Amino acid sequence: MLPLEEILKKLHDAVVGFDEAGAAQAARLLIEGGYDPLEGIMHGLSTGMDTVGALFKQQEYFVPEVLLCAEAMNAGMEVLRPHLQASSTRTLGTIILGTVQGDVHDIGKNIVKMMLEIGGFDVHDLGNNVPHKRFAEELARTDADLVGVSAMMTTTMMGMRSLIGMVKETKPHVGVLIGGAPVTREIAKMFNADGYADSAADVVGEAKRVMAAVKSA
Amino acid sequence: MKPKERFLRRLKGQDVDKVPAGCTTAYGVVDLMKRCGCERPLADVDPACMAGLSMAGHTIAGFDWVKAMGWDITAVSEALGCTLGEPAIDSQYYIASHPFAQSIENLECPRDLLSRGRFPAYREQFRLLKEKVGNDLVIFGMSEGPFTCAANLVGTDRMMRATIKEPTFVEKALDVTAEALIQVIRFAFSNGADYFCMADPTSGGDLLSPKSWERIVSPVIRRIVNAVDGPIVLHICGNIDKIIPSMCETGIVGISLEEKTDLKAAIETARARGVRVFGNVAAASTLFMGTEEDCYREAMAALESGVDFLAPGCGIAPNSPLENVLQLRRARDDFHQDKQAGRPESS
Ligand code: B12
Repeated sequence: MLPLEEILKKLHDAVVGFDEAGAAQAARLLIEGGYDPLEGIMHGLSTGMDTVGALFKQQEYFVPEVLLCAEAMNAGMEVLRPHLQASSTRTLGTIILGTVQGDVHDIGKNIVKMMLEIGGFDVHDLGNNVPHKRFAEELARTDADLVGVSAMMTTTMMGMRSLIGMVKETKPHVGVLIGGAPVTREIAKMFNADGYADSAADVVGEAKRVMAAVKSA
Repeated sequence: MKPKERFLRRLKGQDVDKVPAGCTTAYGVVDLMKRCGCERPLADVDPACMAGLSMAGHTIAGFDWVKAMGWDITAVSEALGCTLGEPAIDSQYYIASHPFAQSIENLECPRDLLSRGRFPAYREQFRLLKEKVGNDLVIFGMSEGPFTCAANLVGTDRMMRATIKEPTFVEKALDVTAEALIQVIRFAFSNGADYFCMADPTSGGDLLSPKSWERIVSPVIRRIVNAVDGPIVLHICGNIDKIIPSMCETGIVGISLEEKTDLKAAIETARARGVRVFGNVAAASTLFMGTEEDCYREAMAALESGVDFLAPGCGIAPNSPLENVLQLRRARDDFHQDKQAGRPESS
């Protein structure tokens, strides 16, 4: 039987090397070894994705690599998930995510979604070109903690302001995160958003920060 | 020197009196539509209305050359099966569905490609434009490039993954889009285009690695360039520093780039390979969001860097103020005035 450290490293490396079969196999080793599956997710698969996020930021990895790493991670997750205790699958929070109305760019949003899921959030993805009304309906239907909005065009970015206004009006305790190439921290502030990240690598940290901030407000 | 002569000489690298100033991407600007009375949605589909907006680029915005074939980069994808979202006066057509997301078994380049979608209207638009500009102005045609078109058809995520894991899938998809583009570009040249601009944003430096670009995209561009009989300009947005050498080896005559790319370095790389550079006044942060002074300053900076054709870095955002757009022409005229006043040149 392999020591835990070694299995965790296998999980990490399989994710970084986008090796789906390897990730599933390492996950099975973990279960057979009687180790805690949560350990494998937190310190194997997730740390693997952290490395991937860093490589992406450094332009070592590009969009195709990141998408394949996520697939490897999912393959590992699939093996581990049935073995998780109900209590350990509790999510950090729920986030409604989508690309703003009029904007079909969703590559960045999809990467953000992956990172949030890996980070322990329950993500309700509304897709791209999402009318404000759809966000409102989803807000009413769910008990979401956060709303995440992506915009890739200067023109559509302007629509985020009224969307944020609407969220704040109907659910003042829901935190709003925004992002996408034309968005900056200054713009996020100007639009009254609670959080912003310029790279998917920082999204989970920012989401946690915003959740804590709006909860304590 | 007539604008057309100036343009064509510059494209060949010969001396000209002034740097040509214009736009090698879309200029579906609301201000311009209102001024000339040729507005969307008709400006996207009606030949006379399209041609009217094309001409307004010259008569009102002061561009040295005019564009045919619409104000977006979706027409080839549409003809191959994508459905489009509804445009509005301030928002262009966009891809609404990826019909081959499940399987590309039935993906092929149809025989009647050029009678589909907007191509019949483009044919008529070319005729009207040709009538208007005669031999005075350059007309260019434009569409999405082969990689962007393939990603539209199968979904961008799918295409991205496939670049690493499914080489035959990528090959098949690009085979079809290259075939379609060859037909479309031949169509443009035979209807009066003087050059053709392919925009391939989805293959850009923020998405694909330089290695993947070289391995996957460059052979397809080369194949298209070799199969058509006229000059091709390749536009890619974002930071393309690392792929410019590969782009310049495909046989294209020009590259069009935006502010995220290092213009001076690009000019140096391109010149050494006999390729011209179009750019690079920032479409979003400057032409749309900036002041007239910002636009003027950036245009001047591009001219001072030695850009071959002064142009916006990307498609002009619909709500950009016309006054901002006019700064390109103004900066170009001043640039040459100053030059003449300062240090007279022999030519
Ligand atoms: C790929 C692409 C496309 C593809 C999109 C495919 C898809 N499924 O997404 C296609 C070809 C379809 C396309 C179409 C168009 N495009 Co486009 N496109 C791009 C391009 C090249 C890359 C965008 C991208 O995916 N980047 C990679 C991802 C990973 O980065 P990202 O999105 O920034 O996301 C990261 C961060 O921003 C952050 N983030 C993102 N979202 C969020 C959300 C939250 C909550 C947080 C916290 C963080 C966060 O995390 C992400 C990961 O690190 C850009 C130019 C460029 N190089 O940026 C132009 C660009 C966005 N497009 C542009 C334009 C104009 C168009 C079109 C109008 C062109 C046309 N007429 O055909 C249409 C738009 C149609 C519409 N209505 O939306 C312009 C927008 C100009 C502007 N600023 O206003 C750009 C900037 C090009 C340019 N320079 O002009 N495009």
